[in-house]
Amino acid sequence: MSQTAIQTSPDPKPQPDIDVSVARRKQPQTVWEWVKYVLRPIASLRLTVVLFALSIFLVFCGTLAQVEMGLWTTMDTYFRSAFVLIPFQLFVQFGKVFFHFPREWQVAGSFPFPGGWLLGGLLLANLLAAHLVRFKCTWRRSGILLIHAGLIIMMLSELVTGLFAVESRMTIAEGETVNFIDVQRQLELALTDPSNPKFDDVVVVPAWILKKGGRISTDDLPVDIEVVEYMDNSSLDPLEGGANPEGPTFRSAVGSRFKLTRHSEESGAASEKSDFPSVRVRFLEKGTGKPLETEQSDREGVSTLSLWFYWNATSRIPFYQFAPQHVKTGGKTWTVELRPRRVYQPFRLHLIKFTHKKYIGTNTPKDFSSLVQVTDPSRHEDRQVKISMNEPLRYAGETFYQAGFFPNEKGTILQVVNNPGWLMPYISCVIVALGMIFHFGLHLVEFLQRRVA
Amino acid sequence: MNWSRIIPGTAVGIGALYLLMAATSGAPSGKMDLAAAARIPVVAEGRVKPLDTVARTSLMLISSRQTFKDKEGETRPAIQFLLETMLSNPRSRTPTVAWEYKVFRIENDQVRNLLNLENRPGSLRYSLVEIQPRWEELHREAVRVDNINEKERSVYEQKVFELRQHIEVFLKLAQGREPRIVPSASSEEDWFTYEHFWDAAEREALAQVDPKQFDEAARRLQEYAARNQLDLNALSEQARQDLLDRLLRHEIQPQTQEILARRYPAAEAWSRMLTAYQANKPEEFNQAVADFRKAQGTLPAGAEQRARFEVFFNNFAPFYQCMVLYVLVFVLACSAFLAYPEVLNRAAFWLAGLTLVVHSLALLVRMYLQGRPPVTNLYSSAVFIGWGCVCLGLFLEWIFRNGIGNVVAAVTGFATTLVAHHLAESSGDTLEMMRAVLDTNFWLATHVTCITLGYSATFFAGFLGILFVVLGLFTPRLDREMFRSLSQMIYGVVCFATLLSFVGTVLGGIWADQSWGRFWGWDPKENGALLIVLMNALILHARWGGLVKQRGMAVLAIAGNMVVGWSWFGTNQLGVGLHAYGFNNTLATGLSIFWATQIACIACGLIPTRYWASFGKASPPAENLPVLKRVRRQGNPGIQPG
Repeated sequence: MSQTAIQTSPDPKPQPDIDVSVARRKQPQTVWEWVKYVLRPIASLRLTVVLFALSIFLVFCGTLAQVEMGLWTTMDTYFRSAFVLIPFQLFVQFGKVFFHFPREWQVAGSFPFPGGWLLGGLLLANLLAAHLVRFKCTWRRSGILLIHAGLIIMMLSELVTGLFAVESRMTIAEGETVNFIDVQRQLELALTDPSNPKFDDVVVVPAWILKKGGRISTDDLPVDIEVVEYMDNSSLDPLEGGANPEGPTFRSAVGSRFKLTRHSEESGAASEKSDFPSVRVRFLEKGTGKPLETEQSDREGVSTLSLWFYWNATSRIPFYQFAPQHVKTGGKTWTVELRPRRVYQPFRLHLIKFTHKKYIGTNTPKDFSSLVQVTDPSRHEDRQVKISMNEPLRYAGETFYQAGFFPNEKGTILQVVNNPGWLMPYISCVIVALGMIFHFGLHLVEFLQRRVA
Repeated sequence: MNWSRIIPGTAVGIGALYLLMAATSGAPSGKMDLAAAARIPVVAEGRVKPLDTVARTSLMLISSRQTFKDKEGETRPAIQFLLETMLSNPRSRTPTVAWEYKVFRIENDQVRNLLNLENRPGSLRYSLVEIQPRWEELHREAVRVDNINEKERSVYEQKVFELRQHIEVFLKLAQGREPRIVPSASSEEDWFTYEHFWDAAEREALAQVDPKQFDEAARRLQEYAARNQLDLNALSEQARQDLLDRLLRHEIQPQTQEILARRYPAAEAWSRMLTAYQANKPEEFNQAVADFRKAQGTLPAGAEQRARFEVFFNNFAPFYQCMVLYVLVFVLACSAFLAYPEVLNRAAFWLAGLTLVVHSLALLVRMYLQGRPPVTNLYSSAVFIGWGCVCLGLFLEWIFRNGIGNVVAAVTGFATTLVAHHLAESSGDTLEMMRAVLDTNFWLATHVTCITLGYSATFFAGFLGILFVVLGLFTPRLDREMFRSLSQMIYGVVCFATLLSFVGTVLGGIWADQSWGRFWGWDPKENGALLIVLMNALILHARWGGLVKQRGMAVLAIAGNMVVGWSWFGTNQLGVGLHAYGFNNTLATGLSIFWATQIACIACGLIPTRYWASFGKASPPAENLPVLKRVRRQGNPGIQPG
């Protein structure tokens, strides 16, 4: 069979080069042949290998980048993007860790590289084209088909996660009832008028508007806001006794004094730390443009609002408790704060008890869990649930995970994730595993049979 | 005579005899029943473990060894060190003989300089008595370093800090602050240290002090202050009270001891055990150990059997024995290439099989002791990767019977147990407890097992690749048959590696989704796993696409080794290594050396085949593996007949 095949071939050695074979082919006749003719180069295995190699390089760089950059920034610039500019300094850093490069070495410049969306998209196109052009649905090939189908689901799940998943937090002290979540990665400046006993009047300005700077003035806002400075991350450092540094200082509820300074973004590889943005704004009276003072205003009438002053962000450590700031205008007093975007839920969680077990005589945590009461008037639901490590609560499209706790162990921090694609990897995993076991198993059995024969 | 049976039989016999000797020796013997003391279950680092393990891990930490040399230069087991370190009276200021043992390993010359210690090439171990004169300086430096961010410390600073911590470990043992020896009767979750008992007895004794003695003590404190020109009035009320207490505590030691003996029989027996040991009175010692065990109260279920078993495990040191046997397997497998291939290969195979049995049992024992899946930390991952490689090697040997599987099994088995051995030096107890997030869970257990086996398989393929290059380039042994079977092996193992690393990575994602709701987070460790999957997929697709042939696949498999090295050790180094001044990090250095060797192998593999000893002018044998495109164009239905 293979003998005849070689004889009919014009070349003594068959060339796997796709272009030659395309050139030798007759002009396509039907639509289907045209489709195949166009798809053939896209379906090339060479392209697959090149894309794999590029992906390996991208993933490697995306790992190195996390030494300096935050996890989320890396994800957005390297993996959830079409193109990325990779700085040469990354490789110098790598050399510093492993090859004794001098510490002070700095190399400027960067080079463009395809990002995660683009490489993923190309791999997907390559795979689909290959199946259209090359693969026939046979018994022997079904393993490969399953593997690739599973991989497509996996890639789509990362797409769905990247586009739609939202991660937030819910912070509850023991005995407290909470009906909102904090969307950590999106901040807002909120003005709240609590004067009505039935409901609060809240106006929020998202952080992306604050970042643009300038003066913000709309009918909904009770005041005009002029942004002086927006800091993506800041550090709040306690001051020693009588120290008197330049710039404003802030006094916490227990009387400690702090200084707030701009800080670079936290790196992803180094720690679990998160960023604490701050914004310096001037509140101006509507119409007159007269500056309005808050409790923390400095001499120029600039007020500093910071995530540091949002008590949930500091796990409610008493040391970091700050009194709320207010702006008075039009006979009303508005509370102003910079906080994670707040999303109210139709249900509420009441923390009954938080439990933290440690190993004997150590501080190594053994287990933590939160006993909560879930109340949902819209569904007439009222029940107790225990949320612990590896045992999340899935409720109303949100999943609640045990993520942290207050230092005094009197409250819990739940990670709340809403990911419409959460089930896809599970499905994908099963399909791919079945496909691989079938495919490789088939080959192994055949191989062993031949060895025995 | 049938040599083909006698030689393998002898090899296995020698191996078994060696293991038997290792299993029976090692336990301390003599009139003093040290073994009974070694088996006492206590709690340290959150785990119930035998006293023997506490002794070994503490000594390992400060001395990088599990034995020590006494003043006469005789090597003695760790348990004796522990018994000589622990003071029967934790408030005593008189040091025991252990203060004179040279156990503190100080490698850094600047630290030695700070402590005014001579250079002692070969050992570099010093006793507390030698360190003591410069104690103040050491302590001051350690306090200074404590305020420096961990990442910004220089090698010297880090080593100073480490030494201070090691001395603290020693002092904790000496003063009875570690380990916890008696379970609390009221709560399962709590155990008491020897010092707790002493403390309780002391408080009781203080309460009974009659006022006259109080006044007397106060008067002497005044005198002491006057002599040393200390202004007592400048101190706070609390500080004055503390000083008085300390003075009194010292004076009421006889009463304290009396209360201890009356109220706390377990602590009394413990104290008696230490006194008897230090006075070298075997009968009393044995009696005290027995009394202590009786007075210790109810232990958690199974703790006693586990402790007994762990002592045996410690003495036997199975992974070390495996390391020795793998060397023997390697020698046999290499000799098989020179002469009597059939007989020697069989001998190597059966000896490797015996070693694998020990290796597997040792893994099972670890799982039994810890109640966890086999991989919990870097140490256990090394042991487990070795196990996976040896299994694969023997499986391939069983199929191909050409000696290759033996060689790779021996090399990988030896290399990984060696790595594990060195990792154990710096980590103390290798059966450490897991943080809550790593709590046992179906997904986590399957994830670590799968991903580690995936690492094993990728490594294995890489070593096969190295063997391919070395055999082909330097020897004429890569003949037609060997060429064929080696490339088939590489292909098969890469397939297997792809399967395991992919499934393992996805299982890890599922576990992450269960734990914190993020299936994939692009963090360094996850990326490392992904790289292995991509690398394996690249090798397979390059092969199917006809971009590489057998030699190309061998070279790519070696590159796979580099990727595994990165994922296994490299990603851990990123966060810690970058900001650290200088290089004290042996892991980072080890990894860069490993990479260099792999690059050298790849370079060798890329030398044109006409320079290869196995081929010369002849071209390498033709294809015998499936190539997608060619198969399609020739209308060939699948794999060509082999």
